[in-house]
Amino acid sequence: MSEALDALIVMAYRQLKRFRRGRARIVSSIVNPIIWIVFFGLGWSNVFNFPMARMIFGGLDYLSFLTPGVVAMSVFTASFIGGITVIWDKQFGFLKEVLVAPAPRWATILGRIMGDSVIAVLQGLIILGLSFPVAHSLNPWGVPASILYMLILSLAFTGVGVSLALRITSMEAFQMIISFLMLPLVFLSGAFYPLKYMPDWMKIIAYVNPLTYTVDGIRYWLAGVSSFNPYLDLAVLSGLAAIALVVAAKLFSRTALD
Amino acid sequence: MGADLDGFAIVVEGLVKRYGRIVAVNGVSFRVGYGEVFGFLGPNGAGKTTTIHVLATLLRPDGGRVMVAGRDVVRDPVGVRRSIGVVFQDPSLDGELTGYENLYLHGRIYGLRGGLLEERIEEMLRFVELWEHRDRLVKYYSGGMRRRLEIARALLHRPRILFLDEPTLGLDPQTRAHIWDYIRKMHREMGVTVFLTTHYMEEAEALCDRIAIIDHGKIIAEGTPEELKRMAGNDIVYLKIRDVKPGVCGFFEDLALECRELPGGRIALKVGDAVKSLPGILLRARDKGLEVLEASYHRPSLNDVFLLLTGREIREEGPMDMIKAVVMSRRWRR
Ligand SMILES: Nc1ncnc2c1ncn2[C@@H]1O[C@H](COP(=O)(O)OP(=O)(O)OP(=O)(O)O)[C@@H](O)[C@H]1O
Ligand SMILES: [Mg+2]
Repeated sequence: MSEALDALIVMAYRQLKRFRRGRARIVSSIVNPIIWIVFFGLGWSNVFNFPMARMIFGGLDYLSFLTPGVVAMSVFTASFIGGITVIWDKQFGFLKEVLVAPAPRWATILGRIMGDSVIAVLQGLIILGLSFPVAHSLNPWGVPASILYMLILSLAFTGVGVSLALRITSMEAFQMIISFLMLPLVFLSGAFYPLKYMPDWMKIIAYVNPLTYTVDGIRYWLAGVSSFNPYLDLAVLSGLAAIALVVAAKLFSRTALD
Repeated sequence: MGADLDGFAIVVEGLVKRYGRIVAVNGVSFRVGYGEVFGFLGPNGAGKTTTIHVLATLLRPDGGRVMVAGRDVVRDPVGVRRSIGVVFQDPSLDGELTGYENLYLHGRIYGLRGGLLEERIEEMLRFVELWEHRDRLVKYYSGGMRRRLEIARALLHRPRILFLDEPTLGLDPQTRAHIWDYIRKMHREMGVTVFLTTHYMEEAEALCDRIAIIDHGKIIAEGTPEELKRMAGNDIVYLKIRDVKPGVCGFFEDLALECRELPGGRIALKVGDAVKSLPGILLRARDKGLEVLEASYHRPSLNDVFLLLTGREIREEGPMDMIKAVVMSRRWRR
């Protein structure tokens, strides 16, 4: 068991080490959400500057409403895309080094998922830190709780991304699937506008979209506004994460070279 | 597992592996004893890598039985993995980490830690003479350095059996000789069993106790390098003799299978084993008062063996290797 734990820890460590060296990835992962907050958020916050506007957003100013959504989005994106490192490892051959090791496969894959999740959460925290000055109704005491939501979201979607990547051989195909899924899931998560104003068919998608529950949960802890019970949010996310991790571990255990 | 299988590092019986309709390995059987250096020699596409991948538990066999270190690769892959180290044909290092970090990662995955791990890393990095380069990112290593690092990594956890898939593919002659030295030294000092593949016959000859020649997924010959070469015919001893007289062949009748007088004062003697026959032949020449000016012999090469068995040559260093080497290095740099 301690052997498995060692393998898990060192695989997480590898992901962190590689990330720290990849400056470009750090910069681009932070710039994108900032663009959303500045150009999208500041712009609309002036539109929603009339007295009744706050009622639309559960009593929040638009930036305080938007920020938790963008934070969740950035964690989600970083996690999902993290799967691409599995494809790199396939192409650069490092995956074989892991496959031929006696360490349990579930431990090596879980380690790398955890490493990538920590990275994704750190990115989310940077965005959150940067948005405190512009989003006035955010509660700093809600940060620890939102970290929990971010982490579970991240485990879930790194798991999904890794599972996809294990089945897919080409970088292009992976990127296509990601871009095909990512934007719709982000728009239908309540990150940019409240769920209750969506048309019914969109609501249905929003309700099965795991990102919805993250946005909702983080918004509750940071801004005190939510559509669901925050513990329901947590339960849904945890359920998804558990499934995603089990699937990733199963897939990796069965992975062979043909 | 029968008692007769104990004491073998590798036992392969009737191994079959298909990729869709392609039969990559078609009923291969062989055994490798502990401490042996055993080589698969064969041209591109012969099934060498496929065999190594099955032995290393990365591919499931479609037929036959494979035991490595006394364990079945299908039933107990983890047990097999504990006993082996593998250097793959294609690079498998993490280019974004340093040489040291690559070994550290490997050690931890294999359950080593602390002072013991640090000692081993230093020992192995010094062994392959990369200690000075330990803190450089592997993506800036040369091809030969990467190969050496992979060998160091494969040995770090002290496996009983080491697999080397074309250990010197695409390397220049000096680097190749260097790597041969490491392999010999490692075999001598650590007593590890080695299974290697190659399509360079000099490499197979230089390193292996026993060789299996593989082509189209089948072993077509197996034996020590000497035995194999003898298959391709006899050795020929050439002598150049001063003032040679016709009928000189008569002196050697009982020492050679056949003797022929050649122009230029030379004679050719067909013998079973040139190295063993040569002293006797020279003695006889002296007894008969012949002054031998030059003595040489020709011995069939493994290439002659392959030619004999398949009608083709094992392709030497050619354009495909160049392309492969370029593709491999490109894949790394990006
Ligand atoms: N993943 C794969 N999918 C389909 N066919 C494959 C695959 N890998 C190998 N083959 C085929 O199986 C046969 C044996 O390939 P293998 O790689 O084992 O040969 P090799 O002896 O290692 O050759 P080389 O000297 O080029 O490395 C070849 O015909 C090859 O095209
Ligand atoms: Mg090969």
